[in-house]
Amino acid sequence: MEGLGRLHQIVFTIAGQRFVVNLEPLVMTWIVFGLLIIFGIAAAHKKKRLPGPVQLVGELVVTQLYGLTEEALGARHARVYSPLICALFIFLLLSNWLGILPHLEEPTRDLNTPLSLGLLGFVIAHYAGIREKGFKTYFKSYFEPVFFLMPLNLIGELAKIVSISFRLFGNIMGGAIIILVVSHLTYSILLPPFLNAFFGLFVGTIQAFVFTMLTVVYISVQIK
Amino acid sequence: MDLDPQTLTKAAAFTGGAIAMGLGAIGAASGEGYTAGHATEAIARANDRAGDIIKNMLVGQAISESASIFSLVIAILLLFLSTPEPGVLKAASLFGAGLCMGFGAIGSGVGAGLPAGKSCIGIARQPAVGGRLTTNMLIGTAVCQTPAIFAMVVALLLMFKEPGTTAASPTWAALIGAGLSTGLAAIGSGYGGGMAAGASCEGVARQPDTAASVTTTMLVGQAVSQTPSVFGLLISFILLFKAFPESAALSDSVGLLAAGLCMGLGGLGPGIGNGMVAEGAVRWVARNIENAGDLMRVMLVGQAVSQSTAIYAMVVSLVLIFVV
Repeated sequence: MEGLGRLHQIVFTIAGQRFVVNLEPLVMTWIVFGLLIIFGIAAAHKKKRLPGPVQLVGELVVTQLYGLTEEALGARHARVYSPLICALFIFLLLSNWLGILPHLEEPTRDLNTPLSLGLLGFVIAHYAGIREKGFKTYFKSYFEPVFFLMPLNLIGELAKIVSISFRLFGNIMGGAIIILVVSHLTYSILLPPFLNAFFGLFVGTIQAFVFTMLTVVYISVQIK
Repeated sequence: MDLDPQTLTKAAAFTGGAIAMGLGAIGAASGEGYTAGHATEAIARANDRAGDIIKNMLVGQAISESASIFSLVIAILLLFLSTPEPGVLKAASLFGAGLCMGFGAIGSGVGAGLPAGKSCIGIARQPAVGGRLTTNMLIGTAVCQTPAIFAMVVALLLMFKEPGTTAASPTWAALIGAGLSTGLAAIGSGYGGGMAAGASCEGVARQPDTAASVTTTMLVGQAVSQTPSVFGLLISFILLFKAFPESAALSDSVGLLAAGLCMGLGGLGPGIGNGMVAEGAVRWVARNIENAGDLMRVMLVGQAVSQSTAIYAMVVSLVLIFVV
């Protein structure tokens, strides 16, 4: 059980401010980046009319996500935002799957990763809203339907960041804790591979998709 | 019985963990059962689509399960985490965290089952829009989980709050009150959000052309249904972070506990009521898209009126905290 809550951290001080760097998510994120770059090169390198297996997977991911984005945002906006959505999805997918390999951890298990991605989606959605509707209409939407509901609208917007990031974090962290506890209790006999398949592959895929779709929905709510 | 700080803290952590997981199992299990029940109905109606329906059922159930996974995380952390600063305050905050997560998981668990079940029936009715129904169901269930996530956030804040040198006497009650406020208020909002999401899955299956408006109405309806749980969160934050002056009088402590209880229970009904309004609006937007604007307006007004009771509860809570 000593694995619970264990973290490798670097703590340093610049001008009296204390900074903490969590090593594991950082290293794991770079591993995901590396894998994604290899996948991207393998899929896009030597494109053929009859695609090879890797190119096929790449095309499948891109066309599916492009279609979903277009359905929600319309063709014009989909051209702008679907690259972001594709990148977000495959990054989250690979991050959530990484934990099934021994000695590797999901970067999404650390709250910092989902929270920064949630903030990214939030900023992009509001930027899109301001650009589409103009600042005045955007600003006015906070005072609807009634003027005095402004604080609630504001809290509601901020709560979106909390809910989107904690949903991913809770699920991935929960899966990791369950796998840890069950493996400990059963001396790692028989059960852990099935749990890894369920929490790593299945729940990981669903949560990556949910996070991506919610980002799309947040953008679409802002631009309409 | 002689209670030293370490024993008291451990006892509170164990009780809290048991409550978190015990109560947290109620909602998700019922919701998943509802989904599976509707999946059997759907398969009986459209037997050739059994594969799609089972896939949709499993995805929906996996999301409903999130609420109880959150409970499990909190429960296990409560059981195994070491407590560096044992004492009455630490004990209260661990117990409060358990209460908060346990109650908070109930509504979202049941609520998330509704859209999953309705979308299974929808696939049986309109197999051609199966993919869109699953996407709509995923968005709906994910959003109706927000109250359970609020409960998890408050539970984590309570667990990792350092007691420091705060006076034990009224603050212990504030900490338990903070847990109760978000936990109880999340029940209604979670279930209400599920009702709106369920109606939207039904609507998309009935009229696939209206999917965009139906999803938008659902999201607005769910956002307003979640307002009572945001009130609960607000009261929790005040109780968590306000510094209360030391007082030995029991009435001061109980007042803070009552403030949390009042907001929690007061948020329960409006959450469900707002969900009913949103359910009706979403269902009729799908059937009568021409009047979507009117329906949305009536929905917002109706929800505002039904929410006034949550505002009364919040006023009483604030009076209990700041005035009395």
